[in-house]
This record gives sequence, C-alpha cells and structure tokens, in this order.
Amino acid sequence: MKKKIWVNIAFQVGALVLALLSTTLLLLAAGAPPFQAYAAILKGAFGSAGSLETLLITWSPLLLTTAGVLITFSAGLWNIGVEGQMAMGAIFTTWMLRLLQETSLPPALTIVLGILAGIVGGALWAGLAGALKTFGGVNEIFGGLGLNFVSTALTIYLVFGPWKRPGVGSMSGTEPFDRSLWLPTLPDTELSLWSLTLSLLALVIIIVLLRGTHFGLRLKAVGKNPKSAFLMGVPTWQYSMLAFLLCGALVGLAGAIQVTGVYHRLLPNISSGYGFLGLLVSMLVNYQAVWVAPVAFFFAAVNVGSIQLQLMYKLDSSFSGVMQSLLVLLVLLGEGARQRFLRKH
Amino acid sequence: MCKHLTRFTFLAVAAVLVLSACGGGGGSQLAPLGENLTFGMLLVGPANDHGWSQAHYEAGLYVEQNIPGATMIYLENVYSGSPAYTGTTTSQLAEQLVAQGAQLVIFNSDDMKDEATKFAQDHPDIPVIMASGDQVWQDGEAYIPMANMVNIMGRMEYGKMMAGCAAALTSQTGKIGYLGPLINDETRRLAASAYLGAKYCWTLAGNDPATLEFKVTWIGFWFNIPGFTSDPTQVADDFFNNGYDVVISGIDTTEAITEAKRLHDAGQAVWAIPYDFKGACDQAPDICLGVPYFNWGPAYLATIQAAVDGAFATDFQWLGPDWADINSPDTSAVGFVAGPALSAEDVVSLDAFIAELAGGLNLWTGPINLQDGTVYLGDGVVATDQEVWYLPQLLEGMEGQSVTE
Amino acid sequence: MDVELRDVHKTFGAVHANVGINLHVPAGTIQGILGENGAGKSTLMKVLSGFIRANQGQILLDNRPVIIHSPADAIRHGIGMLHQDPLDFPPMRLIDNFVLGHEGGLFPNRTTAARDFTLLASQFGFSLDPDAYVDALTVGERQQLEILRLLWLGARALIFDEPTTGISAAQKEKLFSALRLLAEQGKTVLFVSHKLEDVEGLCHRVAVLRQGHLVGETKHPYTTEKLVEMMFGKAISVGERNPCAGCEPTLSLHNFSAEDYRLKVRDVSLEVCSGEVIGLAGMEGSGQGLFLRSVCGLVRAVDGRISLHGKNLTGRSYHAFKRAGTAFLPAARLEEGLAAGLDLTEHFVLAEKPSGFFVNWEESRQLAQSRIAAFNIRGTPVSTVESLSGGNQQRALLALLRVPLNLLLLEHPTRGLDIESAIDIWSKLKERCKQGTSILFISSDLEEILQYSDRVLVFFSGKVTPPLEAAALTTEALGQLIGGKGWEDFALGKGA
Repeated sequence: MKKKIWVNIAFQVGALVLALLSTTLLLLAAGAPPFQAYAAILKGAFGSAGSLETLLITWSPLLLTTAGVLITFSAGLWNIGVEGQMAMGAIFTTWMLRLLQETSLPPALTIVLGILAGIVGGALWAGLAGALKTFGGVNEIFGGLGLNFVSTALTIYLVFGPWKRPGVGSMSGTEPFDRSLWLPTLPDTELSLWSLTLSLLALVIIIVLLRGTHFGLRLKAVGKNPKSAFLMGVPTWQYSMLAFLLCGALVGLAGAIQVTGVYHRLLPNISSGYGFLGLLVSMLVNYQAVWVAPVAFFFAAVNVGSIQLQLMYKLDSSFSGVMQSLLVLLVLLGEGARQRFLRKH
Repeated sequence: MCKHLTRFTFLAVAAVLVLSACGGGGGSQLAPLGENLTFGMLLVGPANDHGWSQAHYEAGLYVEQNIPGATMIYLENVYSGSPAYTGTTTSQLAEQLVAQGAQLVIFNSDDMKDEATKFAQDHPDIPVIMASGDQVWQDGEAYIPMANMVNIMGRMEYGKMMAGCAAALTSQTGKIGYLGPLINDETRRLAASAYLGAKYCWTLAGNDPATLEFKVTWIGFWFNIPGFTSDPTQVADDFFNNGYDVVISGIDTTEAITEAKRLHDAGQAVWAIPYDFKGACDQAPDICLGVPYFNWGPAYLATIQAAVDGAFATDFQWLGPDWADINSPDTSAVGFVAGPALSAEDVVSLDAFIAELAGGLNLWTGPINLQDGTVYLGDGVVATDQEVWYLPQLLEGMEGQSVTE
Repeated sequence: MDVELRDVHKTFGAVHANVGINLHVPAGTIQGILGENGAGKSTLMKVLSGFIRANQGQILLDNRPVIIHSPADAIRHGIGMLHQDPLDFPPMRLIDNFVLGHEGGLFPNRTTAARDFTLLASQFGFSLDPDAYVDALTVGERQQLEILRLLWLGARALIFDEPTTGISAAQKEKLFSALRLLAEQGKTVLFVSHKLEDVEGLCHRVAVLRQGHLVGETKHPYTTEKLVEMMFGKAISVGERNPCAGCEPTLSLHNFSAEDYRLKVRDVSLEVCSGEVIGLAGMEGSGQGLFLRSVCGLVRAVDGRISLHGKNLTGRSYHAFKRAGTAFLPAARLEEGLAAGLDLTEHFVLAEKPSGFFVNWEESRQLAQSRIAAFNIRGTPVSTVESLSGGNQQRALLALLRVPLNLLLLEHPTRGLDIESAIDIWSKLKERCKQGTSILFISSDLEEILQYSDRVLVFFSGKVTPPLEAAALTTEALGQLIGGKGWEDFALGKGA
C-alpha cells in the first residue's frame, strides 16, 4: 500500500518534470530563454494588481465549466457539447436582459433573472445532448459536437440579425448593455465579487455533491459501470440526464457571467474555449474535485501570464494553449504508464 | 486536508481582492512621457497580415526609428472572443501592455472601440490613440469627451475612389465586386467611395453609367474567422465566377488577390485590388491593379512626439493624402500605388483622375441618392464630413446589403 | 490429412486449459471432440488452427512436425476452422467473401473464382447464389459458404466448433452429409460439440475432454452412459438437503415464456417454495440464462404471468422486481455485478436503500467493516473491488445483498472459485434459505446442482423439463438430459 503511494507520486512528478522539460525545449526552439520566459509568465500573472485581477476574472468561468464537466465525467460522459451549452447560457441571458432592459424592473432583479435564464439555457442545451444520447442513441460526443455547431450558428444569426447593433453587421457582438445591467465590480476594477463567489460556491457544492451524497456516489457508479449500477438499483439513464442538466446549468451560469460581468453583450465565440479548457482541467485533476480550484487557477495564470511571452519574445499567442495541452497530455500519459506499471508489479 | 485547502483558497482570494481594490490609482494630468518611451499597440490581426494590421505595425516601426529610444510592444489577434486570449477583454490586454511598461496605448481597430473608451476612462493619465474611431470627435454622433484620447483615421475615401477608378478602367465586363468586411459607417462609406470612383471613370471612358454593376458582399468581420465569418476566398471566387472580373478588397487580409491570382494562372481574365498595406501587391503582381493604403506613421509620430513633449491633447484627426505626393512616406496619410497589372494607358487615365482630385474634384457632391432611392445630397450639394462619415446606406446603383437583415 | 497432437499444454494465468493432450486423427476420419463448457475443447482447437500458441507440445501434419503461427499460416498448412459465429463480413457479396483471404495477388480473378464456387457448391449440394449478400444468409448458409471458402483455400482438415447450434434440422442434415462426403474424400474433420446425439450420429470416433485433460477415447458404436460418465466424472455424492416442509410459495410462474434473438423458452409453470433451492442445469446457452434474467425483469417476458408473494409483477421492470425483494447476481462479477474503481464501502452504500441526502461515511465504513468480517472477505473497506480475488468478489456480492430478500437469482455462484470458497458461499446461501429466501441458480457443475438443489430444471435448446426432485436424480440421468437425450419422457411445454 505504502509502496503504491510512492509509485503514484513518482509517476506524477515524472510527468510534471517531463512537461516542464518539453515546454523548455519548445521555448528554446522558439528562441526564447526558458528561465526568463517562466519568470515572465509568473510576473505576467501575478506581477501587478491588474494582472491578478485579470487572472481572477478568467478563473471564475473556468471553475464553473470544470465543475460542470466533472459531473458529466463522473457519470462517465464526455460532454463535448460544453462550449455550446455555455454559449446557450449567454444567449438566454442576453435574451432576458434585452427583454427586461426597457421595463421598469429594478436592474438588480433584471440581472438576477438574466443569470437564471442563462442557467436554464445551458441546462436545456445539455439536456438536449442527454436526450439525444438516452433516447436517440446518439453518442454524446457527436451530439455535443453537432449542438456546438448549432449554437454557434444561432449566436451568429442573432448577432448579425435580430440583435445587431443599429446600422452595424459585425462579429464584434451586440450593443453593450447599459452599465446598470453590469454585474457590480469592486471599485476601480473589472472584478466582480458576485461572479467569483458564485463560481466558488458552485464548486463547493459540486465537491460536496460528488463526495458526500448518495447522488454523487450513484453518479460515480453509473460512470464506472452502468450495468452494475443498474443491477444495484440505480436508474441509470435518469442519472445520466441529471448529470447533463447539472453540468449545463453550471456552464450556462458561466455563459451568463461572461455576458453580465465581462463582455456585457453577446459575442460569437462567447464561450472563448472555456468549455474545452474545463475538459482539460478535469482530465488533469482526474475526477478529484478538490483539485479543481488550484489547477484551474494555474491554467488561468498560464493563460494570463503567457501574454507576456508574446510581448517579450514575440511568441505566437497560441503558445499558452500548446503548453497547457502538452501538460495534460503528458500527465495522462504518465497516468497510463503508472497503471501499466502497477498491473505488471 | 481538503477543508483546509478550501479555506486557504478562500483566504487567498480575499487577500487578492483587497490588494487589487487598493491597486487602482487616482489620475493626474497628462505628464510628458520623456526619454526612452515605451508605447503599446493592440493589433486586431497578425502583424504580418499584408493588410490593416501590418500597416499599423510598420507605422510603429517608423515611430521607433524617428523617436530615439522609443520601443514598441504589441499584441496580435486582439478582438472580441479571440481564442488567443481566452476570456480576456481588450481593455485587460491593454492593462497587460501597461504592466509591461507601455506609457501610451494604440488601439488599432473599430472592434476595440468600446474597450478603448473604457480603458481611456479608467486610465485618464495614459494617452490613448484609437485608430478609426470617432469617440472624441466633437461634431461626431458619439462624442465622449476624453482628454487622454486621440482618434486618427485616414481619408481613405480618396484611396477607394482611385481603386474604383482603376477597377472601372480595367473591367471588361463592367461588373465590379467589392469584398466587404463587416457592415458599419466606415465600411459603407468606403464601399460607396469606391463606387463613386468607379462610376466616374466608367463614365469618363465613354460608358453609360447604368451599365456599370457594382456589388458588395460582406463577410461579417475584418478578416476570416473560420466557422464564424463567411469565407472571403469563397466570396471572391463567387464574384469571379459570376462575371465580376475585378474585385476590390475592403477586408484586412489578402484573400481577394490570392484568389484572383489562382484564377489568372488558370487562364481567367480577372484582377483584384487589395487594401490597407503599401506592399500588398507584392503577393500577386500579375493581377494587382494597385493598392489604396494607409500610412499611419506620420500621424502616429506626431501624436506620440506630442505625448513625449507633454503636448498631448485630445483630437479627432481625419487626414487626407498629401496631394503634392500622395505616396510620400513622411507626409501623406493615405496613398495609392498603381499595380503592375494596370495597363500603361489606364495608368495615364488614373493619374489624370488623381490630378483632378488634387485639384479639388469632390465626388461626394450631389445629386447622390441612397440605395433605397431617397435623396441624400441634392443637386450640387457637397457632403459635410458628418454626412460622409455617417453614411446610413449604400448608394443608389450599388448592389448589396446596406445593413444586415 | 493425418493430424496428430503430442503433449499439448496451454495455460492462461493460473488456469491450465489443456494438460498434456495427445490425440491422433487419421485422414478420412470424423473425430468428435466432446466435453462440457470449459473443458478445454475450444482451446485445443484454437491451438491447432493457429489462433493461440501452445505453451508446450507438438503438432504433426502427415507425420511432419509443423509450427503454426497464425490462422493464415494454418490454412497454408491445410487447416481451416469454422467458428461458432462464422467470421464473415456481412455487407459483402458471397463471391467477394469467398475470394477473401486468397493469396492470389491484389486483384483476384473473379471469373475463375465464380466457376470454382459453383462447382464446389454443386458437389456438396449447397444452393448458394454467389451474387447474393452475406447478411441475407441464415446461419446454416453462412456455414456452407465458409466450408466452401476453406476448401477452396486448400483446407484438408476442417474444424467445426459447435456447428449445429442455431441451424435448422434440414440444414443439419445437409451439413452432416457434407461432412461425410469430406471424410470420403480423405479430408479430416474435427467436430466439437456437447450434443451427445450429434456426436453419436456422425462421428467415427470421439475424444472426451474434462477439466483440460483428455479423459478417454472411444469408437462407434457408443454407449451414452459411458460418454456421460467421461464428460462429467463419476461418483457424485449427493449432499444433504433441507427440503422445505409445508410449501409457502414465493415465486409463481404460469405459462411463462421469454425469448431472445437466439432462442425461446416456452410455457414454464412453476411454484417455488420459500427457502427452496432450484438448480438450473444445461449447457451454456440452452435457455437457462435467458430464463433467469426474465424472472427478475431484466428480459421482458413475452407471455405468461409471474408473481412474487402473490404480487403480480408481469411486465414490470427490473427495479420493480428489486423493490419486491428480488436480487440477481450475474456471473460476470466485474462486468455486471460490481463497479471497478469503487471501493467496498462505496458498494455497501450503493446497495443499501439511501437514507437522507448525505452519505454518513463513518457509519458506512463501520457497516463495511462488519460485513467484511461477517462474510470473510479478504479486503478492507477502502479496497477497490477489482483488487479482490474472484472468491472475495463473489463473497462481496453476497455481502451486498439486502436483508430480507424474497428471491435470489444466481448465475454460476461458485464458478472459478476454489472448493473452500465454494463451500463457504453455499453456507451463506443456505443461511439465506433458512430466513425464507428462495434461490434459483445456474451452474454447469452437475455436482453442485445435485448437491445443493431441492429441485432441478434442465434446459436443452430452449426446452425445459418439469421440476425434477433432485433426490431422485443421478448425474447420469442429468447428463443425458443436458445432452438432449431422454426428453421423450416429458410432456414438453407443460411443466408440472
């Protein structure tokens, strides 16, 4: 038992070292001095109040998408449709805000209703992916991909069509909402305590749900072995659907936050890859919800910090994505190698 | 263990919040930036796009050459929802430039307009240049007083008229395509200017103006974003395959000439006119009739020099060509280089047209009707700057969407 | 072709599937290979046809030792095998399937092939259209196609693995005459089966395998008793039973029928007493698995009535049966019974009725600890189930069962377990019976069936005997029934 723990640690550390080594090689190949580059990333992420602020702003939607994806992962589902679900959340929020902005409703209530609409929108879209799988036999990966395309098309239609800025037809998005409909931020910053609190709260709820409740355990059983779970009395398809709905709700909330707290309008690509990034993070933490917060924080930091690489060494802006994917790939490889090793010994 | 971790995370977050809350500073008047200036630039596309962004990037290099000790830092591909910067807004990226030492920030795209305003308002002590914007135009429709912002735009209407003229002189079918980016005031007036230039030269060459076909197709953004915009290569291809033998590009990138070259190499008689960047013809000289381009260098140099000297003042600059030499790198904000594919005879006609413009010819003179037939400028009425800038529709005689449906 | 196996050994991990097999089959012989499930028949044939390599031993073809690396290699040596599920490629035309695997360059000569095909088919009296599509064929026709294909590829020894499963009586006749013709042509036929009747009716000689050993060879004519004895072993001691005094019925079936894509179990009527144990005997796939799963709602019954303690459960779902006090323990423990990746505590929590929203982990660990001790599971509350041995997994499955339980259905409760574990598990099961639980279990171990059952149902190709008193049964009688003999004594379809 003790030996096994050491083996685990050795493999995990090995994977991280390997990831660091290959990133270093990549940096060298790109002509950037690696150590200065790492320092630049750190400084870029934590070096100033402004960058910390950006870091926290990007952290909260990532927390939400990761928490959402963890639920579907626990149920053994690859919810690739998470990007579209986030976009759908954003669309519903925008729709609600547009509907209510002309009324005499107090702005605070409008925002709350807008966010609730986003949650519903995300859940509906995820529920559709779930229904396609459960009742239509469409694998959730293909269903999700298809629904992502549909939601993108819908966003583009709305941005260029019914919700366009007067006289304008541009990808730049819809008319920004009045400042009264922005999520309140800390003075002199763009950081909304609301979005941060909501995301952290959602994550805590998910941690508790997955670790401490019958629901979480049954979900996990469905994920590990649906046949056994069914024989043990778990209504499997209902649990799969619930997992989709919950994930969609969280991801829809992330979309709602992007609309009310970050962009203040609807953009095509409003999900900005947060969904896929969430998938990466949840793979990296290997279903262990407690690690989501720090790992997501790390990813957000790499995202924000690596902007410096472009500034200082003219590295391509996609570099942070490459780094993150490399890390996940190697950690997953390390996990595979560990399991092989343990099976042999 | 996990409980502790969660609690720690909360505490850390709280601490960070307090810190960042204290971080924002109160503003002061614009002080001289002094020696060893660092200025930042946000580019909507890549710095080597042979178009809009490269023109800005090279202007930055021009400033570096002309102000001793000046350094440019820049970020590419900055636009709403750019996958390069997951979830970060443009104003946050501007903050990053500042964190890296930028004392002045240039926003190079209309897409950044709201964010530039937000950034300028949040940082009244930092001089901001917003290219193509009209926020600080006192006589504009969207005036927002900001002491630390300067708007700069070239009078590309002239460049587009020249492009339109070259296209009309060359076209054998009398069908000209205009590859439009997104739809807004700027893009409408530029497409309209190209049409006015084309119509003028078409008529001058002895043709009936009614036989000129001029069609605008918009892709939805300044450049191609696969999956989100229409594919400009496809749009150009559709033009060429439907009898439009000249395509004028209004987008930031060079798909029109690339596609024209492909068809030219396959034996089709087609031409194209790129946009934005002086060297854009180099990619496909065989079919390039010329390029109307921006020369941001002189204006940027003057404005940044003023900031260095402590003389930066809010201003709306809408700068025309230097008619003495429209291609002077140090004085002309807008220029036109005739391309190798423009015949010698047409070069003479085009030069004559340019000379007329230099002599005071204004094609924005009535009668001009809007696309829906309403009178925009009565007979002999000359358009005001506002009427040109805020053109509400395409013009009568042009085909294509004025606004999105 | 003369085929000889010398001292063939094959092990899979700890399982010794073939132990020193020596078998000589002269050319022109139809050799039967008989044995119960898991006796090692298929393993031996796979060694011969190149699907697996033996750990030890020699293969001689026409007295020349050969080494067979792969199925393709086997066919080069003249050995072809027909699998139970013919390995063809459904969306193809017959002729394309026919030329498949032929080493005739990149572009097979279809014209020649079609001529050969027609010639071969007429030789054997097969009526197959070369331009038809394979997926439209019956199992029997696919078999015919496969025989032709292997012959065309040059097979001189053909192996048939349970070829009479799933084909009609007419097709079986055609198959048998084809096999006899093959033998007359000097080809060697190895006929693997568990059906006594088929073997007795067709084979020139029979070799019987039991638990990996070749236990005997006999020649035509056969005595059924002798074959059964060789297959199942002798001297089965009938254990002590605890017949229930005064029957209080738990499970009642009335004209109960169930079906899957392969077969149909028809018109079973049965009353099971509280505390009674019913053994379901039969070769694998004879209908007992289907029957067991339909008794707990996993497979919907197509006809008849089922009730539990008087409560009508006809047409209800598995979870309704579960709520009514039925439990089903599948044979595939890790595939269907337990969830790999979850630990024992988590399994105990899952198996119990959830109380409240949150899991009380402290209490659950204690529950797990006490169950682990009570069921003698070698593991801890945090052991994942896949880290347990088979016996411990089986004990864990039993420990997961709720108390009380009306009906317990088990597939192969002691398969793969050592004697000690098996006895242990049966003592736990008998305790359940004392508490009033009725048990239905499937086993391929006749000893187990006779030892622990009160009554027995025997299955053969979907046919079911009426419940037979286990005390009045012998292994011999049971073996014959399993092999499909002696059924004429029952008025079938009308269970007791």
